[in-house]
Amino acid sequence: MEQRADTDTGGGVETPKKMSPWPLFVAVGLAVAEVGIVMEGLYPVAVAGLLLFVGSVAGIVHEAGYVARPWKLLGALGALLVLAGVGVLYSQVGTDLLSALASDSVVVVRGYAILGAGVIAVFGGFAGRFVVDADPSVPE
Amino acid sequence: MAGEQLALTVLMGVLLVGIVALVSRYGDLRSYTPLAGGAGYGGETSHGHSEKPAGLIRWFTTVDHKDIGILYGLYGTIAFLWGGAAVMLMRVELAAPGFDVMQAQFYNSLLTSHGITMLFLFGTPIIAAFSNYFVPLLIGADDMAFPRINAIAFWLLPPAAVLIWAGFFTAPLTGNEIAPAQTSWTMYTPLSAEQVNPGVDLMLLGLHLSGVSATMGAINFIATIFTERSEKVNWANLDIFSWTILTQSALILFAFPLLGSALVMLLLDRNFGTAFFAVDGGSPILWQHLFWFFGHPEVYILVLPPMGLVSWILPKFAGRKLFGFKFVVYSTLAIGVLSFGVWAHHMFSTGIDPRIRASFMAVSLAIAIPSAVKTFNWITTLWNGKIRLTAPMLFCIGFISNFVIGGITGVFLAAIPVDLVLHDTYYVVGHFHYVVMGMIAFAGFGAIYYWYPIVTGKMYQRTLAKWHFWLSMVGTNITFFAFLLLGYLGMPRRYATYNFDAAIAPLAEVTSLHQIATVGAFILMIGQLIWLWNLVSSYYEGPTVEDGDPWNLKEDGMFGREFQWFEAQLARADGGEVEDEELVTDGGRIVNENLTAAVRRVADDDE
Repeated sequence: MEQRADTDTGGGVETPKKMSPWPLFVAVGLAVAEVGIVMEGLYPVAVAGLLLFVGSVAGIVHEAGYVARPWKLLGALGALLVLAGVGVLYSQVGTDLLSALASDSVVVVRGYAILGAGVIAVFGGFAGRFVVDADPSVPE
Repeated sequence: MAGEQLALTVLMGVLLVGIVALVSRYGDLRSYTPLAGGAGYGGETSHGHSEKPAGLIRWFTTVDHKDIGILYGLYGTIAFLWGGAAVMLMRVELAAPGFDVMQAQFYNSLLTSHGITMLFLFGTPIIAAFSNYFVPLLIGADDMAFPRINAIAFWLLPPAAVLIWAGFFTAPLTGNEIAPAQTSWTMYTPLSAEQVNPGVDLMLLGLHLSGVSATMGAINFIATIFTERSEKVNWANLDIFSWTILTQSALILFAFPLLGSALVMLLLDRNFGTAFFAVDGGSPILWQHLFWFFGHPEVYILVLPPMGLVSWILPKFAGRKLFGFKFVVYSTLAIGVLSFGVWAHHMFSTGIDPRIRASFMAVSLAIAIPSAVKTFNWITTLWNGKIRLTAPMLFCIGFISNFVIGGITGVFLAAIPVDLVLHDTYYVVGHFHYVVMGMIAFAGFGAIYYWYPIVTGKMYQRTLAKWHFWLSMVGTNITFFAFLLLGYLGMPRRYATYNFDAAIAPLAEVTSLHQIATVGAFILMIGQLIWLWNLVSSYYEGPTVEDGDPWNLKEDGMFGREFQWFEAQLARADGGEVEDEELVTDGGRIVNENLTAAVRRVADDDE
């Protein structure tokens, strides 16, 4: 199709440069998260979609060179999700957040899904920072 | 229920682990050149590295504007075939008055799918196919300003299409519990808010994603055209196609977020118990205001770039420069501005204040002025020109001819008294199909033929292309002129069946016109099948283009920047000195000095 060669093996390390694995996952993560949050009964899908989305965003921003390591950003995005999840819960049960546990409203469950994804992302951020980065065998 | 949730959770866990495994296979992802201005992280040069991985992985991971343009094109073609198949079923159903082929529910589903597919999944992406591939070449840029965001914008579209079409797949699996949406593309409330079918939610989500995609793309084009132009390309010699893409992107930037907000409000109404559009809450009319404040600019989002394509291609085969270039640019900007002041002409019959109606009528009629400026400039460009009737040129001329009918019928509809009579009849459908099929698709076909040699390195089959043009031109005019007449006879739109009292309209004539329209649609379909065959077979078997000037544009001094780039590419493939790709994706420095010079030369040579 193209007139030029796609690879150049004339010395140096063979690493592709006009590619990035993240855009596909950012897009799919957003789509899966939207479907999971809105469609009734797909809350695990919402958690997975949100995690995929925030994870890929942290990955792509890191790859583009805007942050040195992705973990802080992952944790911050997780914190935003926690806030959003608490906001949804607050909209349903007010300040008595514990009573939400007893509620069977579908909106409350959606709030928990968002909150849960946020908590996992925050933990992921900590884990990356203190476990992965602490491992000397992982390249910078 | 709990078991279901558990299964879903496990499934998602497996999916995520799979993704992590897949991504980790790429090893050190940080060795690329970082984004322009994005600090020096991972800053070792790209020299000596291969460009792209091989095979399918290349297409899933590419951030090259040319590859993404091709992906947009393939995607738009698939959507075009889906939308076309839906409408052929509808035309067959309408060939006779009763329910002969399908029931109303399925007809409504096809109608909704056809409209949304053609506007959001074909129309907008097919324009992005041209702009992604050619705007950077035309302005002498290395790539888009944000290549990764460009890729994200594309990859949002396949999930969007899957969601918009989801009802057709889930209906047989769930016993019609999740059925395709039957809201029409306008999704008017309260109908769309009250239908319990979850298929409507899926469609709204898909539409929302397509809007996010369009907005990301638009921001990218604005940034690219403002910041990535080569130093020889200034506002005065920026090509007409890039001007229309810039204007279109501005319209997208203001219009699509509104669609997104309105869709979220509708989703909240459906799933979170809000009452934005409820009859006893906000108002169903609020939906129409929000929707059309997006929806009317959307018309110009779809039509301005095709006008740019015609303004770019038509002069090439008329052997003359575009007449009144400056005024074509001004008219583009004027249409862009005016497009936001006309939305209520879709609502003349909803009982809104007559003074508001009158002012919207005035602005709607005013859009005819810049439109006419363009039309007369195209005609004047042809005047005394050295006209060559190649397939791209035929499509440009067909475009102008269809625009005259499509545009003038629009002027009539902008007048309140005429609109009150013809509102929601086939006249409206005929009017906008002259524009959508007769203009947008025609300009797209012209551009596909014109740039086919650059994208594929092959030449298409000219006779088949002419068959495609004539079948499309004849089919379009038969089908959609019949629509205009049907509208005058009072045939309402969006109906799967028709049966008139003889005192209101003559059923025999209405039936005949529907049959004529169906025959026209089949003629159109045959033309498109020829087009598809031509493109695919020529890609595999067509003669390889060896000349950088396949259209003989040099002799008229019409050799544009994109073909200059193509010529440089061919020279390189012929064993020129430079072998590796020169354009650094992320706007990093250009490694090879010779190529830096070559790229600049391309920009310099153009007037």
